[in-house]
Amino acid sequence: MSAAVASRLTAVCRQFQRVLTVSSHTQTQYATRAFSTFHSCQQSRMYDSWCFRSPMNNRAVHTSCVRKGLEEFFDLPENWGEQTVKSGAPWTAKQLRVKSNEDLHKLWYVFLKEKNMLLTLEQEAKRQRLPMPSPERLKKVERSMKRLDTVVEEREDSLRLLQTGQERGRPGEWRRNVFGKTFWYRFREHPIPWYLNSRYKRRRFFEPSHVAPYTRLSLEKYLRSKIRKEKREKRNQKSLAAMFPKKTALASDH
Amino acid sequence: MAKRIIYPLFQLGNPQLRIFRPTFNLTLVRPGKEQPPDTVQFRIPLEMTKFDVRNYLEKIYSVPVAAVRTRIQYCTNKKRNHLNQRVKRPDYKVAYVQLAQQQTFQFPDIFPEKDQKHEEGSVEEMQEKFMEDERQRQKSDPRRGGVTEWFGL
Repeated sequence: MSAAVASRLTAVCRQFQRVLTVSSHTQTQYATRAFSTFHSCQQSRMYDSWCFRSPMNNRAVHTSCVRKGLEEFFDLPENWGEQTVKSGAPWTAKQLRVKSNEDLHKLWYVFLKEKNMLLTLEQEAKRQRLPMPSPERLKKVERSMKRLDTVVEEREDSLRLLQTGQERGRPGEWRRNVFGKTFWYRFREHPIPWYLNSRYKRRRFFEPSHVAPYTRLSLEKYLRSKIRKEKREKRNQKSLAAMFPKKTALASDH
Repeated sequence: MAKRIIYPLFQLGNPQLRIFRPTFNLTLVRPGKEQPPDTVQFRIPLEMTKFDVRNYLEKIYSVPVAAVRTRIQYCTNKKRNHLNQRVKRPDYKVAYVQLAQQQTFQFPDIFPEKDQKHEEGSVEEMQEKFMEDERQRQKSDPRRGGVTEWFGL
């Protein structure tokens, strides 16, 4: 914890002194990130809380007024031309669940900008026919974003369940398609009712009479495979019991 | 919101649609053809519009945007793989963004040549030394003064 506190203090100092980065490769999840996104002459409304544990790139603050926005599409100038750029582990869902909604919202934009930067780098590397430095950063960002999405979805689901009791956000129902298969149809918004929607009417949600025998056959196939699996399991257990009878097991225990 | 998400229908009088946590990614690319100094070229997802690009840059990157023009680049479906199946290269949309307030942008050189100093005893240093020795061995005798091996003894 002291390491975290120390690194946070240094991060704060960094913001105001514009000192170069200190990159820590091992336990970077406890290293706070000094954001390059702190532009003093920009709106820094998104990046108020500097106590982010963003374990990816540790960047210094730089304040520049010319082309301040577009510079965020590129890495720090010190990293241009390097073969590898150090970056930490991606965020886990467990770490993200601790954060408040505002923090997650801000973190999303941090990830987004990082991803844009990496994509720009990748494209330029392809253009110059050179290898991209540390391409694993892209995967890390994508995973972090996915996990953030999961956490936000969890929160929305629980809120909706508590407030309304609805399991799903988007209404739907079970329907049969033309092939006789039952599936969950999710509703869409339409400006007109369904009986005026010719394209919707062409999409049949019933099985024609000549498809019914095939539904029955596929059901029989499914049941057969299920029963066969169960029987196979039972047979296996029986043969194992025959190989290793209980009498010898109990005898070996004593 | 994002790609592959259905936006709610808009009817006259509805409130402005707000998108939280956009999943659109913008890629700044070096222009293939010479562009005016205030033009920045982006590759954007196909679902984005000019208004989306403008709002994105203004709100997230605080870049003042004067004009945005877009076009869709169709990529080939002609290439075939080892199974003789046609492989499609995905299409993309290109946005040409003109900056406001007479700002200019020049695409920087992101891969400058750097002298790499490897640490002592590392694998890379040994490799470099090995390559240097190989190159020295491959060079012809300097006493021949650039004359090829074809001539003379």
